[in-house]
Amino acid sequence: MHDLEELTTHCIRCGFCLEDCPTFVETGSELESPRGRIYLVRSAIEGKLLWEDIKPHMDLCLGCRACETACPSAVQYGAILEMARDQIDRKRPSLTKKALLASTTNPTLLKTQLKAAKFIGGKMPGFVSRALAGEKAEANLPKPQINKPLPPLITDTPVRGEAYMLTGCAMQVLYPRVHECTRRLLRRLGYVVRDVDQGCCGALHAHNGDLETARKLGEALTEQFPDDFPIVVNSAGCGSTMKEYDELLEYLMTIPPSGSSDDIAKEWEASQQHKKKVDGFTQRTFDLSEFLFSHGLLDELKNAKGLSNKRITYHDACHLSHGQKITSPPRQLIQAIPNAQYVELPESMMCCGSAGVYNVLQPKMARRLLNRKVKHIQETHADIVATGNPGCHAWIAQGCEEQKSARVLHTAELLEAAFIGIEEFI
Amino acid sequence: MGAYNDSRMDFAGLRSKLRADQVLDGSAAVRAYDCDAYTVDRSKPSVIVLPESTSEVATIVWWCVSAGVPFTCRGAGTGLSGGAMPALGGVVISTKRMNQILEIDIENRCLRAQTGIANRRISDAVKADGLHFAPDPSSQSVSTLGGNIGENAGGPHTLKYGVTVQHILGVTMVDPLGEVLEIGGKLGCGPGYDFLGIICGSEGTLGIVTEAWVKLTPIPSVIETVLVAFPTIRSATETVAGIIATGTIPAALEMMDRGIMNAVSMAFGLEYPAEAQALLLVECDGESVEAVEAEIESVRAVCEGNGCLEMSVAKDEKERARLWMVRKKGIGAMGRIAPSIVTHDGVIPRSKLPEMLDFVYSVASEKNIGVANIFHAGDGNLHPCFYFDDRDSVQVEKVVEAGEIIIRKCIELGGSVSGEHGIGVEKMDLMPLMFTPADLEAQAMAKRIFNDGELCNPCKVLPNQRGCAEHRMRWRGVAT
Repeated sequence: MHDLEELTTHCIRCGFCLEDCPTFVETGSELESPRGRIYLVRSAIEGKLLWEDIKPHMDLCLGCRACETACPSAVQYGAILEMARDQIDRKRPSLTKKALLASTTNPTLLKTQLKAAKFIGGKMPGFVSRALAGEKAEANLPKPQINKPLPPLITDTPVRGEAYMLTGCAMQVLYPRVHECTRRLLRRLGYVVRDVDQGCCGALHAHNGDLETARKLGEALTEQFPDDFPIVVNSAGCGSTMKEYDELLEYLMTIPPSGSSDDIAKEWEASQQHKKKVDGFTQRTFDLSEFLFSHGLLDELKNAKGLSNKRITYHDACHLSHGQKITSPPRQLIQAIPNAQYVELPESMMCCGSAGVYNVLQPKMARRLLNRKVKHIQETHADIVATGNPGCHAWIAQGCEEQKSARVLHTAELLEAAFIGIEEFI
Repeated sequence: MGAYNDSRMDFAGLRSKLRADQVLDGSAAVRAYDCDAYTVDRSKPSVIVLPESTSEVATIVWWCVSAGVPFTCRGAGTGLSGGAMPALGGVVISTKRMNQILEIDIENRCLRAQTGIANRRISDAVKADGLHFAPDPSSQSVSTLGGNIGENAGGPHTLKYGVTVQHILGVTMVDPLGEVLEIGGKLGCGPGYDFLGIICGSEGTLGIVTEAWVKLTPIPSVIETVLVAFPTIRSATETVAGIIATGTIPAALEMMDRGIMNAVSMAFGLEYPAEAQALLLVECDGESVEAVEAEIESVRAVCEGNGCLEMSVAKDEKERARLWMVRKKGIGAMGRIAPSIVTHDGVIPRSKLPEMLDFVYSVASEKNIGVANIFHAGDGNLHPCFYFDDRDSVQVEKVVEAGEIIIRKCIELGGSVSGEHGIGVEKMDLMPLMFTPADLEAQAMAKRIFNDGELCNPCKVLPNQRGCAEHRMRWRGVAT
C-alpha cells in the first residue's frame, strides 16, 4: 500500500536519521533534515501547511536516502520524497526542470549540448543556471570519455548465457568505456550481452518527481528487455529505480485518473497487465557489482595481473549503498585485486552532492558536499577512487581535478584494469 | 512580566546580530521546531536561531532578555519529555552549528567540545587512542553533548560507569541573563559547592551550556556480550534481581519484551527461540579474560537457574556491535508497528521488577492501548513504550493517563518519576508525587541562583510556574 500519508506516519520522530543527512549536517536546520521534511509533508497533507511552503526544503533534498539506512522504522523516505515532489509538480509544474531532464536523458540532445559546451567555457551559461537554480553554475558540463581501443579480450571461459545491459541515456554518451568494461567483465564470467534498442529508464524523472514520465519510460524498457535474462546495470541511480518499478506503479494507481470512465477502465486494465511484467523485471535486475560478485569474479581475479603501487579507495554511490543496500560486493571485489592497496574513505556513504541533476539545480549545496568529499579523498592519499554511478563519477572527478587529487574510475573500469593493466585507463 | 505576544514583534533587533542564514522563520520552520521526540505536546516558536559560538549565544540571550521574549535551547531534538519544546513560543536556540571539537588531551584523558556535537562523534574522535566518552544513551548516534548534559543522560552502561554528570569536568555556559560563566574546567570542579551537579540534569532551565570538558574513559580490553532468551517475563525479571544479588555488576543488563522483540526482528532480523517472551542482553567487561569469563559464568548460572531457553554469546566485535545496534534502535523500530509512541521513563527498586511489569501490562490492557518494554533492567529503569495513533485524541488521552498511573505506581514501590529522560513538560505535574512542597521550594530556590526570571526554557521541570497554566490547559490531549 503506497499511500503518501500512510508512508509518513511511520516516522515517530526519533531523529536517528539526522547525523546521516548531508543537508542537515551541513546546515544544522531541521527543515533540511529527513525528520523535518517528513513532518512537513505530513503537515501539508493534513492541510496545516501549503505545498508551496515546503517546496524549497524538498528541493534542497539530495534524495540520497542515507536516512533510510539509518532509520530503525524503515520509513520509505525515497518514496515519500518522490511522491511529494510529484504532488508539488502537479500543482505547479516547473518547465525549466522538465527541459533539463529531457535534454539530459536524450542522448542526441545531450551530445549536441556537450559539443556546444566547448565554445562557452565548459560550464552552463549563466542565464540558464539562474533560470534553473537561481544561483551561479558549479558543475562543469561533463566531457565524454575518449574511447581509446582496449587490447583484445583473452579468456578461456566458455559462454554460459546471455544478459541485457542497460546502456542508458547519459551513460552511453559520457562513459562508453564503462560499458565496454562491463561487457568484458561479463564475458570473463561467460555472459554475452544481448544488444537491443532501448531507451532511458526514467530514474532522473522519478527522483525529481515526474512519476508519470518515469512510469512510461519504465513500461517501454520492460518491453525492450522481454527475455528472461539477467539485466545488468552499471549506473546505481538507474538500477535503484528499475528495482522499484513495482512500487512506482502501486503509487500511481492510488492517484485518481482523469478522463471518461471507459478510459479509466482501460488504463486500469493496462496497468494491471503491466504490473505482472514488472514484477519479473525487478527480480532480474542487478547492479553490475552484485552480479560480478555472485557469479564468480572473485575467483577470476585470482589470476588477474593486478595493480601494484596504486592506493585505491571507494566512494559509495547513494543509490547503490542506500537505494540498493549494496556496500560489501564492490569492496570485496576491489580488495580481491592482486596487490591492491585498499583504504577506506571516511564518510564514504555520504553523498558527494552530484545526486542526478542536483548539482545543476542546487549548485551551492552541491559544491559544499563536493568539497567535503574531496577533502576526505585527500586524507586517504589514494591514487584512484572507484565508484559505481556516472553522476558521482563526473562530479568527484571535477573536484579531484581542481585539487590535483585522485583519479576517478568506475568500479567496472578498475576491475577490468586489474586484468589488462591500469595504463589503459590513465 | 506581561504575556509575551509574538504577533507584535518583528525580531529585527535579533536579525541584525546574525547572518540571514542563521535565522529560520516562516510557517514551515516554526512547524518543524514545534516539538522534539515527545510528540504529544507541541508549541510553535516565532523564530529559530543557529548560533556558531558562545558569544553569539550570549548575544541572542541578551537580546531575548531585553525584549522580554522566552527562549528555549535545542540540540538534536531527540528528547522524550518535551524539554526542547518552546512552551511559550519565542526563540528556539539551536546548538546544531556548534559541533566542533576544540581540544583533545589524550595524556590527561579529556576533551573540550562545543555542545552541539553528537555524542557518538566524541567517541569516534578518540577511538584510535583506545578511549571513549562513556555515557551512551540509545540516541547517542545523534543526541548532542549539550542535550546529554541537560538531561543528565544515562544509557545501558550507566550500571557500571555512571551517568553524564560523572563524566563532565567543566562547562562554559550562557546564563539566563546572557552572562558567560565558566564552571569547573579541565581538572574538574575544585573545592567548594558542586555547581556542575546542578547544571547537569537542569534541562536547559538554568542557562545554555555551549562548551564542555568531558572525561574520556579507556575502552575495556575484554568485553563479552550475551543474549539470553526466557520463556516468561517473570523468569527474566527474576534473573535480573538474581544477577545483581550475586554481587556481579555487569557493564550493562538490558531487557526487551515480546512487543519490542517483534519490532526488532522485523527491523534487523534478530532471531530468538519462538517460545521466548523476553530477552536479556548482558555485557561484562574488564581487563582480563579470566575475570570476565568468571562474571559470564556467574550470569550463566543465574540464567539457567531461572529456566532460560537459550544463551548465545556474541562471537566477535561485529556481532556485539549488531546486538547493541538492535538494542539502541529498538524504540526507533516501533514505527513499524504504529504511527506514534510515547516512551515512559520510571525507576523502581530492581526487586520490584516482576510486580511492576505485570502492572504495566494490566494498565495497558485496561486502557486498550499497545505497550512494549525495552529498558535498563539492571538499574530498575523502566521504559514502557506505548504505541498508538496520535491523530486520534482519545488514544492520546489514554496514553497520557496510562503513563501517569504507571509513574504513580513507581513512586508507590519506592521509585522515581524519571530515570534519565527528564521531567520536561511531560512529568511536571507528577513532581509533587515524589517531592513535598518544601522539597519543591528548595529546588525552586536552587533554580533562582541561576534563573530568577521566566524566560529561559519556561514551563519545564518545576510545577506551578507563573504564566504556564495556559500552556498546560491548551495541550492536554490536543496536540495539533
